[in-house]
Amino acid sequence: MIARVQTWWTILRICLEERLVYRGDFALGTLMRFLPIVTQIFLWTAIFAAAGSGKIEGYSREDIIAYYLLTMLARAFSSMPGLASGIARQVREGEIKKFLIQPIDLVGFMLLARIAHKVVYYAVAAGPFALVYYLCRSYFPGWPAPDVFAAFLLSLALAFAVGFFMEMTLGMISFWFLEVSSLLFVYMLFTFFFSGHMFPLEILPDPWRTIVDFLPFKYLAYFPAAVFLGKIEGDAMLFGLAVQACWALFFIVACRVFMHRGFHRYSGYGG
Amino acid sequence: MNAIEIRGLQKSYRVYQKKEGLWASLTGLFQREYNEVEAVRGIDLDVAQGEFVAFLGPNGAGKTTTLKLLSGVISPSGGEAHVLGHVPWKRENEYRRRFALVMGQKNQLWWDLPAQESFQLHQKIYRIDPEQFRRTRDELVDLLEVRHLLGQPVRELSLGERMKMELTAALLHSPEVLFLDEPTIGLDVVAQHNVQKFLKHYQAERKITILLTSHYMKDVVALCRRVVIIAQGEIKYDGSLAGIVDRFSGHKVLTLQFADGRMPGDLARYGDVLEIVEPKARLRVARSSIADVLSSVLANNTIEDVSVEDPPLEEVIAKMFAHTANEKKSEAVLPVETS
Amino acid sequence: MSHHPSYLGVFLTFARNSLIRDMTFRANFIIESISSVSWMIMNLGFYTLVYRKTTNIVDWDKYEFFVFIATTMIVNSLVQTFFMPNAQELSELVRTGGLDFALLKPIDTQFLVSLRRVNWSSLGNFVVAILLLAYALPRIDGWTLSIWHVLLYPLYIVLGVLILYSVMITLAATSIWLGRNQSLYDFWFYLTNFSRYPMEIYEGAWGTPLRQVFTFVIPILVVINVPARLLAKPLSSEFAWLGAFAFVATVLCLAVSRWVFKQALWSYRSASS
Repeated sequence: MIARVQTWWTILRICLEERLVYRGDFALGTLMRFLPIVTQIFLWTAIFAAAGSGKIEGYSREDIIAYYLLTMLARAFSSMPGLASGIARQVREGEIKKFLIQPIDLVGFMLLARIAHKVVYYAVAAGPFALVYYLCRSYFPGWPAPDVFAAFLLSLALAFAVGFFMEMTLGMISFWFLEVSSLLFVYMLFTFFFSGHMFPLEILPDPWRTIVDFLPFKYLAYFPAAVFLGKIEGDAMLFGLAVQACWALFFIVACRVFMHRGFHRYSGYGG
Repeated sequence: MNAIEIRGLQKSYRVYQKKEGLWASLTGLFQREYNEVEAVRGIDLDVAQGEFVAFLGPNGAGKTTTLKLLSGVISPSGGEAHVLGHVPWKRENEYRRRFALVMGQKNQLWWDLPAQESFQLHQKIYRIDPEQFRRTRDELVDLLEVRHLLGQPVRELSLGERMKMELTAALLHSPEVLFLDEPTIGLDVVAQHNVQKFLKHYQAERKITILLTSHYMKDVVALCRRVVIIAQGEIKYDGSLAGIVDRFSGHKVLTLQFADGRMPGDLARYGDVLEIVEPKARLRVARSSIADVLSSVLANNTIEDVSVEDPPLEEVIAKMFAHTANEKKSEAVLPVETS
Repeated sequence: MSHHPSYLGVFLTFARNSLIRDMTFRANFIIESISSVSWMIMNLGFYTLVYRKTTNIVDWDKYEFFVFIATTMIVNSLVQTFFMPNAQELSELVRTGGLDFALLKPIDTQFLVSLRRVNWSSLGNFVVAILLLAYALPRIDGWTLSIWHVLLYPLYIVLGVLILYSVMITLAATSIWLGRNQSLYDFWFYLTNFSRYPMEIYEGAWGTPLRQVFTFVIPILVVINVPARLLAKPLSSEFAWLGAFAFVATVLCLAVSRWVFKQALWSYRSASS
């Protein structure tokens, strides 16, 4: 048991170091990532100025901007840049063999690598995030009640889980189709549009509004933000958390099943 | 007339010093440390028109850097050089039309396209007269026996075939000076031999000046009469191939074949025993005492066959490189060949 | 035989070779075209949703704004077709040593590096944008085609493309200059994001200085706004100066990018071995 913990710890540490090598201009890069928010603020100010009434679908101008800032935070948890495409590349180049040969679990390894990735990112991005949130504090309705805030934190953690395992599942598909870049593009398009990253999902007309409720994407960005802003409260909030947890569980199982089938197929055909 | 004249050429650059460990890489986020590396430390060299010269040296000795300096890719930190009367790092188009650089580890052909499309591009870039372009290309691909591969995407070619295409591309504009950086690296024996044969023929015919770096002694033996050895950015030797052995090895290798069962037990008194496979034995003997040893052996034993040879060139050079590397360790910074 | 290489000839060979290459990966080509088109359609969908809630974004009504979006698509698709793959590859060229070969050639290095590859699949958006223009323009109240539209719109599109190219190559070259492994070119997206909206939305205590910076310091607001306004809105004297300024801005941008590129090469030459 201790040996296993040590193995995982070593993997985590190596991944952390590897991330730090790609120091790039992390902090500056994170600040840059907020630039689109600036244009969003101006764009929505212009939209609200022309719309006349103070609210669009229950959102005031301040709400919308707070919403965008919160989805950025949610996406910082749920987005997994390069995860599925990385697996696809490993399959294509035969690198995936090492998980068949060495006594490491692919999903576990990827999870640790991603956690390392995220930890480094949060460590460096915390400053810029705090700065932008502080500058934009007037847009927020204030701190939510403790139980809502707890639910918000939980939904962020679950957003990470849903994002990670969903993309892992997608990555496993590359065992069947070598070229998955187009599939990944469709996935990216869907997450961008239907996660609520681009606009509050309330704006969507029916039937889209209903369809989106049945998809896992909204738990990647929209849901945590809506919880924080009090758009989803009480039982609806608890129900939402439960559904989010179910999606996470679903993809945990799905990616394992796909992995085992994929390995089976891979070893059967020979890389 | 000299095609290449180099005086006191120097090149130093800075490298980022990465530190080990998690904490160090964290602090590396905020401050970086650099080391000054002297890749070339004052080289003097003259190469006559039509010479075929080999650059030898361990990895990181400054060979590739020198070639890049001479082709004007990088600028020196000091010194002078003239190639065909041009200063390379002025990078005049006139000069760039008169030489070519081939690097065995890099390719400049379009990976996904047939080589002939890249050749076409060269014709446009170098402004080669279409008629002459066709003639040169046909001659080269015939010499290299790759005409049938012209229409095949480069990524589908074998390493050897690709190198032949690279050579063709580099020679399309009939350069007067050719820099070859490890042109046979990674090639199998047959392909290596083919490339050597081609280079030898081409150089003899066109009388162009060639500077070659290689790790394969066979290339050097086959092609170059003059060898320049570079280590730690300095020229350590400049002369004939045979001269290397005279200069850097004080030994000969003596091979003796004894009559059946007559091998004496005390061979060690004649010299270092390298190998004994009955009835043969190989000994290393100091050059100065080879005559004495030989007469003594012949007087006291029944010998069926005997030969005296120089030690293998590779061995002499490897030993010399190892020696210079040891010398080097006493200094602070090891030069790193980054390319 | 002239001493200067034929730049047009070389460019046509680049374009031809890229097309041959794209055609050998036909499936990829089709997927890429569809991807970039569907991306733009999603974007269009977003604004359609927005215009269900409002009639105007500043003084741009729905169809005028569609002209604005179409202009954005045209400029971006041209930049993506001719310059983007090359700027992206620049840091790769430095890493693999491919830049060494470019430096050997008897031809301008910036030209060679900037136009090596043509990404034909990005022209898909160009076609969609023309269709969008054809749809939106007749629906603008009181719009008629004038000779000035025909003459000046393409001209300003070219100026816009050149400004974006300058910004892009400056960022890519700066990352060589600073010796960064991560390309500064990533910032291009965040920077040009500002150019995709009518400049009038940048108003107020923060907005006005922002608008001035992105008009006069890094003139990316000129890129889309000038041609889009020219086509969608009646000509006004107020915007005449902006039209004149676009020329000056383009020339200055090209000059600056040229200078930065040369500095980058100089540093590459003295910093590598």
